[in-house]
Amino acid sequence: MSNKRAGHLWGNSGSFLFLTSPFLLFWAFFWVVPLFTGVDLAMQESQQFSRSLPGTGYTHSPFSNFERAINDPKFIHSLENTSLFVGGSILITLGLSFFLAISVYELNKKFQGICLFLLLIPSFALPGSLATLFYLFFHGKSGALNQFLVIPLGFDPINWMMDPSWILPCLVLQAVWRWTGVITLVLYCGIRAIPHWQFEVARIEGATALTKVRTILFPGTRHLLLFSGIFLLVDGVAAFSGAYNLLGGSGGVLDAGLLFVTYAYQVAFPGGSGRFDLPLASAACVLVAGTTACFAWLLLRVRKRMGN
Amino acid sequence: MNRLFSPILIGLVLLITAYPFAWMFLSSFKTNREIYQPGKMLPESFDPFAYKLLFSGELFDFTAVLVRSLLLASGQAIFACLVTAATGFALAKGRFWGKSLLFWAALLIILYPKQAMSLALFEWMARLEITGNLYGLILSGVASGLGVIFFTQVFRKVPDELIDLSKVEGQSPFFCFFTLLPLIFPALCTYGILHFFICWQEHLLPLLTLGSDQLTLPLALAKLGDSSYHTPEAVGLAAGVLAMIPLFLLFGYFFRRVRTALADWVVS
Repeated sequence: MSNKRAGHLWGNSGSFLFLTSPFLLFWAFFWVVPLFTGVDLAMQESQQFSRSLPGTGYTHSPFSNFERAINDPKFIHSLENTSLFVGGSILITLGLSFFLAISVYELNKKFQGICLFLLLIPSFALPGSLATLFYLFFHGKSGALNQFLVIPLGFDPINWMMDPSWILPCLVLQAVWRWTGVITLVLYCGIRAIPHWQFEVARIEGATALTKVRTILFPGTRHLLLFSGIFLLVDGVAAFSGAYNLLGGSGGVLDAGLLFVTYAYQVAFPGGSGRFDLPLASAACVLVAGTTACFAWLLLRVRKRMGN
Repeated sequence: MNRLFSPILIGLVLLITAYPFAWMFLSSFKTNREIYQPGKMLPESFDPFAYKLLFSGELFDFTAVLVRSLLLASGQAIFACLVTAATGFALAKGRFWGKSLLFWAALLIILYPKQAMSLALFEWMARLEITGNLYGLILSGVASGLGVIFFTQVFRKVPDELIDLSKVEGQSPFFCFFTLLPLIFPALCTYGILHFFICWQEHLLPLLTLGSDQLTLPLALAKLGDSSYHTPEAVGLAAGVLAMIPLFLLFGYFFRRVRTALADWVVS
């Protein structure tokens, strides 16, 4: 934050604190306090768990729930799934959006707006609608994926939601489908901000498409690619609705589609596995969300260094 | 890029993005037998039975679900716009103690996955006894980190001369903020729409904090998707179509402004 520009502006702290006080109040009340509530919950003794171990000499310590989370194979499995889900959706969405943004930029100006709007359509749909649509339109032997992709390539039809090795790719596809339009719009705005003379110089020098991507388009949008990557990372770790609707609140066959938030929901509330173990769920949330925030912060530092 | 490659790529992706939604709309008039043949596009007849069933109240009060979702999303968006715009103005144009801390607080909200905090937030809201109604949900989403960062960039682009003029006229920063609001109207619209969009799609927190008789659209869709209810597939698709309409209209109407504001933000 540069104070240089604001230096000659008001130095009236009281007025500015008055302006920022509603935000500070809401932030403290609905972010800071819940954060500490989560940490406090994570350190509490789980009655459900203690009752299940009579006479075993189990003694609770503030870090017991964190240990239990780390030793829970289902938690580790949900983390592996979430990492693959996040990694896959970031790589595919960013790659596809980057080339789509370039393609839209190269279109006649009359068509650019309509193309961007049409690309945004999947993001207008609720994740639940996307899941229903995926199930009815793309899934199944006569679904679009099998009819237009798998069978024409000479493979046997895939039972997408029942085959454990295909459940996670389905979730990734759903995320890519949802976010590609939004990221394309952001990257397109970034490309439009690149000074036009750079493209002119490249044209005069007879640069190839690949050279233009390498020397103009990628450097011109890399800060936005990083920003979009962080957005997709945080959204991916928090993904719930799509998987909840597609898999009915479970992790699917052999928990192949069990994502982290679904795991926490299952542990905390009756329904899925019905463990009603809020302290364990909170410990898992604190671990994962804390790690994600630190990782995203590190990425932002990288961006700052890139900017310098 | 290759002149042939670009239109092919766009055409293919547009087909994948737009075609299934055209199918979804048309399938909301189909019977289950027709829907289970995804290759078939047009329904045998345009019978709006699914829409009639939704609004008949037989399954649940869908009109109330729509109104509840609209109130939640628009209420939260309006409050978030005002609160975060004021903070963004202070960060961009003010000099006061704790400014950097405030910026980092906003950034932390973005970086910490919200859904992972839902359980703790639910526990906290339950202690405050503000679960089971929309007020608690609206208030819980007002402090938006994205909003603060967005409006800070927006106000940085407002010329300092306007602030100087305001100072000369003896206005307080609070009054100056309100006089500048019309100037940043496109940005207010853009962020309002983005926040509405995020809140409209929120699933986990309403699932935890609202009762089963107080569904929002994502919860209603999950209920319709539950096979134990034996509702025709067209009903779920019809609900999906209706849930898209507000976002479609908002983005359609304000798209040019959103694009311009987003481009300005990206540049800054």
